Amino acid sequence: MTYFMFMLLVALIVGLIAVASNPTPYFAALGLVVAAGVGCGVLVGCGGSFLSLVLFLIYLGGMLVVFAYSAALAAEPFPEGWGSRCVAGYVLVYLLGVILAGGMFWGGWYEGSWIIIDNLKEFSMLRGDVSGVAVMYSFGGAMLVICAWVLLLTLLVVLELTRGLSRGALRAV
Amino acid sequence: MTPVHLSFSSAFVLGLMGLAFHRTHLLSALLCLEGMMLSLFIALALWTLQFESTSFSTAPMLLLAFSACEASTGLALLVATARTHGTDRLQNLNLLQC
Repeated sequence: MTYFMFMLLVALIVGLIAVASNPTPYFAALGLVVAAGVGCGVLVGCGGSFLSLVLFLIYLGGMLVVFAYSAALAAEPFPEGWGSRCVAGYVLVYLLGVILAGGMFWGGWYEGSWIIIDNLKEFSMLRGDVSGVAVMYSFGGAMLVICAWVLLLTLLVVLELTRGLSRGALRAV
Repeated sequence: MTPVHLSFSSAFVLGLMGLAFHRTHLLSALLCLEGMMLSLFIALALWTLQFESTSFSTAPMLLLAFSACEASTGLALLVATARTHGTDRLQNLNLLQC
């Protein structure tokens, strides 16, 4: 189980290196999908199955799908994957940086467990993260209202930015 | 640093460096920003799970909602850029150049 968690953490870092090395956005979106998938696995390994499901549905299924078809706006005739010279250089530099950071922050490596060990203290129907999110609807009601307001405001912002015609937000003239 | 802490911290810093050193497309900068939000979500959720402070579970949910707002605003800017400049390549955004 610890080895499985290790593979998931390595895949998270490799996925984000794949995004940060700035290839053509098609490949960067693929790297981000892989990183989000293994991020969900990391959360499940630590006992947060509900938060992992939320990440999968909202982040992967909502936001990244929009990014994937927006990648059509960044179409180029000769896409650069991770094999092209410039991008491979960035990948090597970021890999070296992560290894150096791991070597620098070596202290405390064995302090905790990689996975949950003692989770069932008492018998309960609900898991911790599920009932924790329910707090958002009771004591955190004010934050929920603010969140809804912000989402409505963002809708109006997006509609204003993409108004087009002669009153759009970005003009080249 | 525990390995889990190191992995999401380096994921955040990697996304930040990818955002700082973006090369050609505006969309790759937005994707690096999304990677940073992913690492922050994982960090907050692991805070909740490893310290067993279950009422903190609302923080990753709210972070996800706000990051959805930010992603949609970024994509709207991308669409506006592609509509006016024809492409989202950063070398075309040269209005302020002397």
